[in-house]
Amino acid sequence: MTFETAQRLTEILLALAFIQQSLEHLCGPKLERRLFAIRIVLCLPLLFGVFGAWALAGLAALAVAILHRFQGPYNGGSDRMGLLILLCLLVSHLAPAPVWREVALGYLALQLTLSYFIAGGVKIVNPDWRHGRALGDVFRFSAYPVSENLRALADRPRLLFAASWAVMLFELVFPAALLHPAALVAGLTVAGLFHLANAILFGLNRFFWIWLAAYPSILWFQQRRMAG
Amino acid sequence: MLQSLKLLAPALIPSWRFFDTITASPRIEVLRLSAAEEPVGAWREFRPRPHSLPCREILRRLVWNPRWNETLFLTSCAERLLERETAHSVAEIATRIAASLTPHDAPFFRFRLVLISRDGDALQKEVAYVSPRRDVISQ
Repeated sequence: MTFETAQRLTEILLALAFIQQSLEHLCGPKLERRLFAIRIVLCLPLLFGVFGAWALAGLAALAVAILHRFQGPYNGGSDRMGLLILLCLLVSHLAPAPVWREVALGYLALQLTLSYFIAGGVKIVNPDWRHGRALGDVFRFSAYPVSENLRALADRPRLLFAASWAVMLFELVFPAALLHPAALVAGLTVAGLFHLANAILFGLNRFFWIWLAAYPSILWFQQRRMAG
Repeated sequence: MLQSLKLLAPALIPSWRFFDTITASPRIEVLRLSAAEEPVGAWREFRPRPHSLPCREILRRLVWNPRWNETLFLTSCAERLLERETAHSVAEIATRIAASLTPHDAPFFRFRLVLISRDGDALQKEVAYVSPRRDVISQ
């Protein structure tokens, strides 16, 4: 995948993810509706590849206004990933030298890798995660399960133990997928299914769409790295 | 400017510590109050989750999930409020509760934050915050 293709695919996926999020905000209070209506308008040139750098600059300025409106991210990690992709794309357009443009997209690929590796690392050092208790608590009393019947999963310790280790090992091993193109495709497929499961069980639909938007950067980064 | 950088920094250098520890989880509960400020009914959980979700609804929520995402945002506001009370967090929660109420029989309300955690095999609940009386209309 060339740098230009990865950049363009990231723009399209980011625009679609932002439009999806913004449409949800059109049900909100008046100021929120205005901010996100503007975001939809700014996403259109990004989606169709016209005045992309201007659209990214406008979206970045608007992102600051949105952060002030909610005094932080509205949707935690998914908003942070969205903002990271946006700023990396912006730098990949505006940086004066090609090498710095590549560094910007490479930084996104690095952060995507770290998003799995660090999440796995902080879990595996916690005995509650290693024994499956932490995942049990997520189902038993956290705010995330989308329906009450999912709380019954808290009473299936063997399943929770297996699922906890599957999640931790996948997250920790993910960087190794960079060693081979087929391994990376497999790793991203598993990662996508992991985000899909989180969307189904915990209603984290925005994480699913926004993490997908970062995948072209890592596909390009691997090829770039292997080409030397 | 400094505040903007403070808000942007976690996106530029993210921590990615998802679900590292599972701590007590806040729930928002609402008590409606009459004009004489007497309770109308009991404390009720704000936006309780359904018992189950049909497959079609799960699929729909992949692309259209505004209410649930707003509920998660209010949970963040509740966590922020318990960490350090700010007018912003209180207003975000109160405004959205007020929008769900009708002022006719209960023009006022209070909300409270109940922390749910595990103690051994049992769940325990602790009331961590109770708001002053709020007016449904002026929110």
